[in-house]
Amino acid sequence: MRHLHRGLWFMASLALLVALIWGWQVLADARILPRAFFPGPDRTWRALSRGFASGTLVADTLTTLRRLGLGWVLASLLGVGLGALVGTSKWAQDWVAPIFEVLRPLPASAIAPVLLLFLGLTDSMILTLIAFGALWPMLLTTVHGFSNIHPRRKEVARSLGMGRGAFIAKIALPGALPDIMGGLRLGLTVALILVVVGEMITVQGGLGARILLAARAFNAAEIFAGVALLGVIGLVTNALLGLVETRALRWQRR
Amino acid sequence: MLETTGIDATKSGTQEVLRVDGASVRYGAATILDGVDLTLNRGEFVCVIGPSGSGKTTFLRLLAGLVAPAEGRVLFRGAEHRAPSREIAIVFQDYANALLPWRDAEGNVSLALEAAGVPRAERAGRIRALLSKVGLAGSEKKFPSEMSGGMQQRLQIARCLAQEPDVLLMDEPFGALDAMTRQKLQDELLGIVRDSNVTAFFVTHDLEEAIYLSDRIVALEPDPGQVCRVFDVTLPKPRNQLSTREMPEFLRLRRELFDFIERFEP
Repeated sequence: MRHLHRGLWFMASLALLVALIWGWQVLADARILPRAFFPGPDRTWRALSRGFASGTLVADTLTTLRRLGLGWVLASLLGVGLGALVGTSKWAQDWVAPIFEVLRPLPASAIAPVLLLFLGLTDSMILTLIAFGALWPMLLTTVHGFSNIHPRRKEVARSLGMGRGAFIAKIALPGALPDIMGGLRLGLTVALILVVVGEMITVQGGLGARILLAARAFNAAEIFAGVALLGVIGLVTNALLGLVETRALRWQRR
Repeated sequence: MLETTGIDATKSGTQEVLRVDGASVRYGAATILDGVDLTLNRGEFVCVIGPSGSGKTTFLRLLAGLVAPAEGRVLFRGAEHRAPSREIAIVFQDYANALLPWRDAEGNVSLALEAAGVPRAERAGRIRALLSKVGLAGSEKKFPSEMSGGMQQRLQIARCLAQEPDVLLMDEPFGALDAMTRQKLQDELLGIVRDSNVTAFFVTHDLEEAIYLSDRIVALEPDPGQVCRVFDVTLPKPRNQLSTREMPEFLRLRRELFDFIERFEP
């Protein structure tokens, strides 16, 4: 019964998507906007298939995915690691946390020129940019998750003679995982934004660079193709992370 | 070779495990425990009763090493004891917080073995033995959320026994359970304590539970918490939920304890 219900809703949202694309086509065919700036789904699709056939679009997509993945993993390790440090250490709370409060409100895009000075037009620059921007949600949710650990669990750890490392790995991290998963998702969204920003600045391949170059060449269909592909990447990566989350937190639904 | 100096505890039969010497505990300006003395011997079952605010739980936390005395000292096997030790296990009343909800029954017991550095190969067998000892055979793969309160408390006891403790400290462990489960667990606990020869220190506000379980009952009085009286319980063992509770000695103690506690009721 519940499956049927969910199936119906899925069909409904799919129908809405089809209707929107159809509406987009109608709007493009009506020529309210110049065809050069506003290609319909048909021309966007042709640009996509042309790009895939020539192989350049595949290469750019893979480049962007690699940077997105590496940057996100880097941000996750830094964010969760620093979060665990701040969450378990009084010293870190007093000395490190205030520095975060200064750095956190800085827009990551404003940091890009600074990184460009130090790292040049490189992958490292893009990865650092992603890591800087995307680590905050992970760091803050980890700290929050750690601060919510029931004091009884700390007493259990003490009476079992667990060290700090074992406490973090076996009690604090699994306990904070529901919070951290939320941070990982938010971080993924930020990482996708920043990989595009980074690629537009460095112009060293990738979908971001491809969109920027297409814009300079007034090739609207190519721009729309790149944007559509980024949308699909966002959708698929988020869904994958959702699956991981369901598996990692299946104890919550028992 | 027998030690010639000091007390030969094994020969006398009453081997001292934990001793509290004039210990006081303060939180800020408030004195929770004031000059408490107590000696716990090996294999002994001691219950602590007292009106609320008499520092029963603080007394347990002092023995656990979770709070340090402002005055006096706590000796564990003759050495000063100021931090928790693996040899002193604690059964908390709120089993839901003390257990890890993301680990199944096996995993929760395993936590104690992992912390003690027991090699992986040995763990499975010991976990199975411990779970069946507390009556949880067949529930190895269940998560705490799939268990009743009684089962969860059994699981916590199994994890504490995995520490192979000398002392088992229990803070109203059956307080949240229904009467039938409570009586069943009381008998199982007496069996476990007898078989493993641990020393049990049991905080309760249920006077009959205290009499039924104890070799000795420590009665605390409040404001500030002090040891007011110690009652020796000479009821025969093994105890029985029906016949023990009908014995004249049981009823006499029951009256004495009720009279004691009533003095503090407003």
